[in-house]
Amino acid sequence: MTQTDSVSRHVVETFIAKAAAVNAVVQELPNIQAALRYVVDVCAAKQASEILADEPGVEQGPPGPNNQPTRVKRIVAAPDLDDGEYDVLAKACEEKGFLCIREGLRNYVAGFDVGVSKALLGVAASGTCLMNTDGEDARLAGMIAEIHIIFLCASTIYPDLPSIAQKLRERINEEPITYTTMISGPSRTADIERVAAVGVHGPLELHIILLED
Amino acid sequence: MHQAPNTLSEYRKEIDSALQDEFLRRTLDTFAVAYRANRETIFQEVDERGIINQIAESRDKACKRMEELYAQFKEQAEKRGVRVHRAKDATEANEIIARIARENKVKRIVKSKSMTAEETQLNERLFADNFIVDETDLGEWIIQLRHEGPSHMVMPAIHLSRYQVADDFTKATGVKQDTDIQKLVKVARVQLRRKFIQADMGISGCNFAIAENGTVTIVTNEGNARMVTTLPRVHVAIAGLDKLTPTLEEALTALLVLPRNATGQRLTAYVSWICGAGPCSVNPDGKKILHVVFVDNGRTEIAKDPLFSQIFRCVRCGACANVCPVYRLVGGHKMGYIYIGAIGLILTYFFHGKDKAKVLCQNCVGCEACKNVCAGGIDLPRLIREIRSRLTDEQGGDTQAVLLSSVMKNRKLFHSLLKFAKYAQKPFTGGTGFQRHLPAMFLGKHGYKALPAIAAQSFRDRWPEIAPRAHEPKFRVALFSGCAQDFVYPEQLEDAVKILAARGVEVDFPLEQSCCGLPLEMMGQRKTAVEVAEQNVRAFSRKSYDAVITLCASCASHLKHNYETLLAGNAGLYGKTREFAEKVVDFSSFVHDTLGLGSDDFNNSGQKVAYHASCHLCRGLGVRQAPRDLIKAAAEYAPGEEEELCCGFGGTYSVKFPEISAQLLEKKLDALRKTGATRLVVDCPGCVMQLRGGAEKQGLNVKVDHVADLLAENLKPQGGKT
Repeated sequence: MTQTDSVSRHVVETFIAKAAAVNAVVQELPNIQAALRYVVDVCAAKQASEILADEPGVEQGPPGPNNQPTRVKRIVAAPDLDDGEYDVLAKACEEKGFLCIREGLRNYVAGFDVGVSKALLGVAASGTCLMNTDGEDARLAGMIAEIHIIFLCASTIYPDLPSIAQKLRERINEEPITYTTMISGPSRTADIERVAAVGVHGPLELHIILLED
Repeated sequence: MHQAPNTLSEYRKEIDSALQDEFLRRTLDTFAVAYRANRETIFQEVDERGIINQIAESRDKACKRMEELYAQFKEQAEKRGVRVHRAKDATEANEIIARIARENKVKRIVKSKSMTAEETQLNERLFADNFIVDETDLGEWIIQLRHEGPSHMVMPAIHLSRYQVADDFTKATGVKQDTDIQKLVKVARVQLRRKFIQADMGISGCNFAIAENGTVTIVTNEGNARMVTTLPRVHVAIAGLDKLTPTLEEALTALLVLPRNATGQRLTAYVSWICGAGPCSVNPDGKKILHVVFVDNGRTEIAKDPLFSQIFRCVRCGACANVCPVYRLVGGHKMGYIYIGAIGLILTYFFHGKDKAKVLCQNCVGCEACKNVCAGGIDLPRLIREIRSRLTDEQGGDTQAVLLSSVMKNRKLFHSLLKFAKYAQKPFTGGTGFQRHLPAMFLGKHGYKALPAIAAQSFRDRWPEIAPRAHEPKFRVALFSGCAQDFVYPEQLEDAVKILAARGVEVDFPLEQSCCGLPLEMMGQRKTAVEVAEQNVRAFSRKSYDAVITLCASCASHLKHNYETLLAGNAGLYGKTREFAEKVVDFSSFVHDTLGLGSDDFNNSGQKVAYHASCHLCRGLGVRQAPRDLIKAAAEYAPGEEEELCCGFGGTYSVKFPEISAQLLEKKLDALRKTGATRLVVDCPGCVMQLRGGAEKQGLNVKVDHVADLLAENLKPQGGKT
């Protein structure tokens, strides 16, 4: 192991520790194929998503933990994936009987199962992922899904916020109009008696897949 | 919804009822203790002071360039399809937003948290115009259901229990709700999702308005701001002009402190950087309608004020409330009009007017806990004193303050009145050190502590007899006594003199010295405070000393930190004031750091001795180790809980707010009991007065005195260095 390797390993380990500290689940996986399999497995293992608003024509299952009807056909939304990756995921979803989508997420704002996104970079000190959320679908994938899964390349993790200033600037100025989001852990609150609770509006769980390549 | 007291007695009644709220007290107590520990841990990872200084410096610079930054932001944002507005006051801001809603045929509005919208009382205006408005931040939604204002800037519903919330949710949903917090949170998830979807317009706040590229930055944990800015067709961001930030770097630096200070987090769950009006599929042209409304409401005027412009360093983290011992007792609804905590007292004056502020701004004990944690390093206690002084200039002070002020202008008159008091009190002391027989009627709410008696002979009268003579002295020092020790506790000074003289220090006591002036400042009597400051600098400039020693932490902190500013306009004292301030040192530091006294110099009595860290010593002067080391040298130090928590004296504060003062005292005495100590020592006669009075009243078998008393009692004649 070279000195640079050990420095970057330290950054990765810090990221894992700090992300875990804010209730994110961090998984190190060797490649995108493994990551896509992980997405399908997570979707299969979870409770069916609750439907929190009217959605015409949706097939409803028995009530979920909050006494709301659940989805019978599970949904995985992956607007960030490139065509090749999306095809692999869509095929795996089909085998399991899940609906896989990459656009028109607004039709499912009542709630869906899994959202998949790709991070631009990570920040170790706070376990943060920086996301291009310019498109509505990219935003909704991380907002409405009960479980949000982010793919992050381990080699793009930076030590702290000040160290990404220029990267953030380039990202925001990448297009004339942009919407960028930093995500550190699942949606949370402590507004009632300061007791920590996750999933108040956004995802109930955040999984970060650290990719080696 | 929002109320400000008109008179002190009205305010005290409100405070009384807050003090009766057991739940509030317990919650805020637990929070205060947990917050302090979390904050300390989470700041270990960054250079706290360095970052705070950086924020202060960059915000000060931005404040001077506010107009330029506004123009730049407007240009950049408009280039990206955003409409930028500027409202001169709250009414105009609300009007602009209502107009945007009308023009876009909006019926339903969802809001994410914005203190600026609270400031302009936007909801009331929107309700009046028949819009349906729903708050979506969990805490804000709860207080909206209850028709209340926020009681904390970051945790608006901190004053409520799960049972109250369950009742409110039961009413709102028509279904009986469980009191389990995890389930209650999900009620909001379920109920609010429909509202996000149905809304035509979203209103958000703005933590940073970044001028370089017209970005609106929003910091949230719940993710509701992402919904508010994404789902509806129209998005309006409301921001104070002070939110203008030159570049991304300043925002990133502030983000290192804001979440840490607010809730002990490294970063919030979400930070959104909205640069331009992006896609929105529910609009015919597929684009979001995005407006940014900047609110002036007095900000351009404040930006020009050489002193008060520092309030623009505020990042609205709420830390000043989190550490405030008064907030901890009375809660946010009693500690600000809309903005709360120390910054709230100040912002109330500027944004909501002097009538709202005149009584509220009296409720600062001056303990400096807030100044110590402020993300922008704002000198909050000083600004609060300054507002009191302005209110006095504008409206005249209260009768007591004016009377005291006129007496204290004349040192001889003041001192002879104090001496006269010792005869007047005789029937009431029964020969003890306390005023025992004052009629209860006269004591009123002050019955929680025994009041000290004026000493039979003041220190200044004893001085000629006890003044020591030193041969070939190592140091030449002067004593600054302060009123309390000169007239109430002269023995503390005598003990100090005994120690100094025994270790070869020549001590002088300039008789022309007067009150340090801090009590006058606290009462808004600026003019007299300046006059006594002049007298004191003159009194100590007649001879050359190595140090000016005081046994009163409050005097020391005031002399050292405030004199230069108070006397800045006095050309005659130019240079002398600084020289004087630099020489001021507290007794413990001089004895410990300069004379180097330690275990060799004292017989260790073995007595269990607890310590109370006076506000103006630990925070005002940053002195923490010296007194504790000295206690360990002369006795067995018994550490206690929350040693740095204010005892509630605060000079005239304990007279104005006796109920709060009594509660703070109670907390200290509880902690003292737990130590099992038989003696409590402090570095400030004010704290001695408060704590000794409380211990006496409660019949605690604990002796309360000054560190100097403990040391003098156990001093070895020669010292161990022979």
